[in-house]
Amino acid sequence: MTDTLTDTATKPSSARRFWSHYSSTSPITLTILALILGFVIGAIIIMVTSPAVLDSWRHTSHHLGDIGSSLKVSFDSVAAAYRAMITGSILDPTLFVHSISTGHGWDTTLTPISETLTYATPLVIASIGVGIAFQTGIFNIGANGQAIIGGIAGTAVGSMIHCPTIIHLPLTLLAGIAGGAVCGLVPGLLKAYTGAHEVIVTLMFNYVCNAFLLYALTETALQAPNQANDLSRNVDSTAILAPIFGTKSGLRVSYGIFVAAAVVVLAIWFLKRSSLGFDFRITGANPNAARASGINPKFVVIAVFLVSGGLAGLAGGVQMMSTTHYIDGGFLIGNAGIGFTAITIALLGRLQPMGIMWGSLLFAALNVGGRAMQAATGIPLDLATIIQSIVVLFVASPVLIKEIYRLRSGAESFQMATKGWSS
Amino acid sequence: MVHQHFMLVPVFTVAENVVLGFEPTKSFNRLDYKTADAQIHELSEKFGLQVDPRAVVENLPIGLQQRVEILKALSHDAELLILDEPTAVLTPQEIDALMEIMRSLARDGKSILFITHKLKEVRAVADVITIIRQGRVIDSVPPSETENQLAALMVGREVNLTVNKESTELGEPVLEIRDVVVRDDRGLAVVNGVTLDVHAGEIVALAGVQGNGQTELAEAISGLRPIESGTITLRGRDITNHSPRAILDAGLGHVPEDRQRDGLVLSMSVADNLVLNTPRRAPFASRGTRNLKAVSVNATDLVQRFDIRTTGIDATAGSLSGGNQQKVIVARELSRPLTCLLASQPTRGLDVGSIEYVHRQIVNERNQGMGVFIISSELDEVVALGDRIAVMHAGKITGIVDPSTSREDIGLLMAGSTMGAHD
Amino acid sequence: MEFVSTTLAALAEADLVLEVRAPVGRRRAIGALTVLLGLFIVVAFGFGSISGAHSQFTFTPVNTSSGAPWSLGALTVLTRWWNVALGLITVAIGAETWWRRPAGALARFGVGGIIFFFTLLLWAGRQPGPDQTSSINLTSVLIGSSAIAMVLIYGSLSGVLCERSGVVNIAIEGQFIGGALAGAMVDSVTNSFWLAALVGILIGGLIGWLLALLAVRYIADQIIIGVVIVTLLGAMSSYLNIQVLAPYPNLNVGNNPSNVAIPLLYKIPILGPVLFNQNMFFYAAIVLVALVSFGLFRTRWGLRVRSVGEHPKAAESVGINVARVRYTTVILGGAVAGLGGVAFIAVQGQFQPGITSGFGYIALAAMIFGKWKPSGAVVASILFGVSAYLVDALQSYSTPIPTELLQMFPYLITIAVVAGLIGRVRAPASDGVPYKRD
Repeated sequence: MTDTLTDTATKPSSARRFWSHYSSTSPITLTILALILGFVIGAIIIMVTSPAVLDSWRHTSHHLGDIGSSLKVSFDSVAAAYRAMITGSILDPTLFVHSISTGHGWDTTLTPISETLTYATPLVIASIGVGIAFQTGIFNIGANGQAIIGGIAGTAVGSMIHCPTIIHLPLTLLAGIAGGAVCGLVPGLLKAYTGAHEVIVTLMFNYVCNAFLLYALTETALQAPNQANDLSRNVDSTAILAPIFGTKSGLRVSYGIFVAAAVVVLAIWFLKRSSLGFDFRITGANPNAARASGINPKFVVIAVFLVSGGLAGLAGGVQMMSTTHYIDGGFLIGNAGIGFTAITIALLGRLQPMGIMWGSLLFAALNVGGRAMQAATGIPLDLATIIQSIVVLFVASPVLIKEIYRLRSGAESFQMATKGWSS
Repeated sequence: MVHQHFMLVPVFTVAENVVLGFEPTKSFNRLDYKTADAQIHELSEKFGLQVDPRAVVENLPIGLQQRVEILKALSHDAELLILDEPTAVLTPQEIDALMEIMRSLARDGKSILFITHKLKEVRAVADVITIIRQGRVIDSVPPSETENQLAALMVGREVNLTVNKESTELGEPVLEIRDVVVRDDRGLAVVNGVTLDVHAGEIVALAGVQGNGQTELAEAISGLRPIESGTITLRGRDITNHSPRAILDAGLGHVPEDRQRDGLVLSMSVADNLVLNTPRRAPFASRGTRNLKAVSVNATDLVQRFDIRTTGIDATAGSLSGGNQQKVIVARELSRPLTCLLASQPTRGLDVGSIEYVHRQIVNERNQGMGVFIISSELDEVVALGDRIAVMHAGKITGIVDPSTSREDIGLLMAGSTMGAHD
Repeated sequence: MEFVSTTLAALAEADLVLEVRAPVGRRRAIGALTVLLGLFIVVAFGFGSISGAHSQFTFTPVNTSSGAPWSLGALTVLTRWWNVALGLITVAIGAETWWRRPAGALARFGVGGIIFFFTLLLWAGRQPGPDQTSSINLTSVLIGSSAIAMVLIYGSLSGVLCERSGVVNIAIEGQFIGGALAGAMVDSVTNSFWLAALVGILIGGLIGWLLALLAVRYIADQIIIGVVIVTLLGAMSSYLNIQVLAPYPNLNVGNNPSNVAIPLLYKIPILGPVLFNQNMFFYAAIVLVALVSFGLFRTRWGLRVRSVGEHPKAAESVGINVARVRYTTVILGGAVAGLGGVAFIAVQGQFQPGITSGFGYIALAAMIFGKWKPSGAVVASILFGVSAYLVDALQSYSTPIPTELLQMFPYLITIAVVAGLIGRVRAPASDGVPYKRD
């Protein structure tokens, strides 16, 4: 596979020069190359598993030529799938033209982009939290659990306290932050004072939080009254992030996107302009120099877990407040969980808030488009996750993608702090 | 080859370490511990290296671990043994035992290359002594040569550094080190009762061969390594075991030994590195927000004043030459109010121009009444800069002498002989 | 001399490892905790049940297709006094741990944990009690627990292999999924669990190879790679389930392998059905434990694997090819987990997405709790297996502790161990650290 890909990429010498020109500097190029590879592999998967090809597998013994012709047929299904993905996540040109000419049907036309933004909102927030931890040299694998606790705390405050919007809304958001921060505090304290590896602790904590969610939904007052299932109360209308265009339009995009935008802006400010962010970045880039210049490593570990956990918790709160307005036992668990998606997005966005924002929009588009694809062509939504995983595998192994494209080495662009269990 | 840092697996037994890579086996690839034990017993008998083959290496004292390292080399039928500073980690009794082992190995026809800076030891054990200075063989002499002659060859005669120093008034003591004991990572007391004063307006230079505890002493002063006993005060204020932050704030300037590891964040800009340990101090930040304008004004000023050659203040520290990286650190330290400057190996790896520049800055500070404590393994530097020269050997100060003292005498102190002048 | 730079390097590594307490004190702490656990059992489950209450055990397995053991009548016990006695035994174990501070302190705590779940079961099934349950079928409980313990053993052995060579394998869950999917399909087509096992081994090994390729050759971060591989395999299996398995149900028939009864031994009451009348995957797991234990600690190969995981530089200095050792061991570890994936099919029958339901991560926890040793991994797998089964079984009872909270048990206990709050485990020194030759 490697060879066939490289051959097409390297045969013309001018193309080769083009690649090497870009490769030596730009990490963005590497990301784009990874994306291309992800979609190519996704296409191969669609082709070999399309019904036409599968059918011909069964008849190979009779007609050897069948696979070739059915591959051709399935090539069309790839095109259809990817077309559905794009029109389903961004814009359908025919609907757009229709709306322009008639002035009607804007709701339908704008639904894809509205869904993408809705899906992206909690992803941006959680991924920035994970990205800040990564920048400090801390692996926060526990964003999923922190988001769940944030969602629980948000639901509790949103449904059990009653007060005007002006107080209730910020209070509910704060509850989400606080829930996630408390959940992040535990691994932070354990790492600072016992040296426990944060990866194991946060990984285990995800399951603890999941179990706690089920507990909270079945054994506590959070459970909806007269309800046997694991379902929470609804939060008050004063504590929700309402749809921007009102409930009648059918566009789900909510004021949550402003929360996400605020997080992006704050994160940029935090990393670039705040003293604490500077401490974080120094610690992540060179922990020895950080210590020598008077930064307390214990304090940084605890602080970064508070920030990272707080953002993950906020993501959980916003997810609940902007879409369902209640939580159930499957909260945030679908699609490998928001926490793991956040890890991959943080990597894809190279840990920078803006990069993470684009990465979240991309992943959201893949998922929303994937749903449209499933509806239109029957190809399962999971393809979106497969493509995402492949992209991130390549992004995490820059040396590999360079080798595949025969790029010049030299762009030591991206190095994660790699540590063992015991340190 | 017997490395100074043992190539032993700490959790393995002696036998497992010795046979690793050349394991005797029984059927099914099983390890033949009996044969391994017998091999070790045989070697032990032959060379007089007693050690229990079933002991776990990490539980053995350093001297025995070294013995295992030698056994390992012998078990591979090595004809030439290279011992790299083998006595640095040993007690006097263990050293005597090692000497005995070396002699008996030589009697058995093995060749030994014994690398050390301890003149007594070479004279006691060597058949031929070769002196290397600055990567060049200076001479080969018989062990009958006196220690003085050896020391002269070791330290050389040419003084290629001249620093103009006016005489200044000796002020109050600013840095007082009293009976300080510090352990290294292996738990050895590598600084073992050091007492030393640095007065305002003087440069005290600490000479010594590397690895005699200077590094750990510097780390202890700057708060990076715990002090087991003894006290350190900075202008009368106790800073023993205070945090690095508190010590920096108390007015200690620190030019760390390894600038890339402890002094700089190479991936960050020159401007950020110039405020690395003062990020929260006015005017660089107020109320948790960094003032990037003040940071860049500061950087522009320091780059000009200290003649730091860089493409701009936003260039990364990693893009600078070694000399300019060191200038960044010196500029950073000297630009904040200091009581005392601690500089470890301040000119290591620098070109002549930069060396001269750094020396001039240091003397300037001293002339203005600062106390300066230099730690250097370059004798030329020590002699050129020091108003007083302290010599460290095996964790102790073996003498405090005047810079006019002959280099042979200093060399003797460095090699562990006492002149009777001080102990 | 390199002395200084290496000292600093060591300092850097020591940087965030802070305040490590003495191991002796920790064993005391484990002992104390076990005593507390025992006292809790005595008070809550012993005296917490009224004096006349009794619990009834039955011992005949439900499914006796391969032959029933010698039968054993039902046993009715007084709940209070049995739980008090079992609690006191736990207290005694704890006291012994406190007193002697043995190396097996964690294992002793594990026994205490199993007793805890057992007494909880006794307490929950008491008559007269809150639930109208007639009896507790002890043999069924043990058979159910053994099925979970079995897959955990495969997973934790896979972890032990990989991590002993210095590569963190978070992808166990992914190897489970791959093995389960492939195993279901191959078994359905060929009707042979032998072939299914073989293909599961190959698929698991392939995923191990992917991990090794990216981690060893391309020096990518092992934790991230592991997490992403799990996500990838999860999505892949769900995709293939819809796209391939659903339209072709004959690819996912859902056979169960027949049990192989070991003559005579299987007739022993309780133990017989649990240990000697199982499917081939159960026996294979036991053989694997012995093999891995023997291989790692008795053979030349194992010595080299461990040296690579502890001190790769030392290994290389005596001519051991670090990269090759890591490659082979990680592929082997992946193969073991892949076989474990097929074992899921052997238990559950059909493949369905989410069939592994996070057991890969519990296996990781079991490996850590078992101190990176095959024997320890077995003890931890049994403990976690029993707890996972009982948590599931207890959902139909009203228990004093909500089962959702009991579900946290394996994870909390692993966190406590990793943090050194009780006991301290030591990972191989170079676990997770990529090796670059100078």
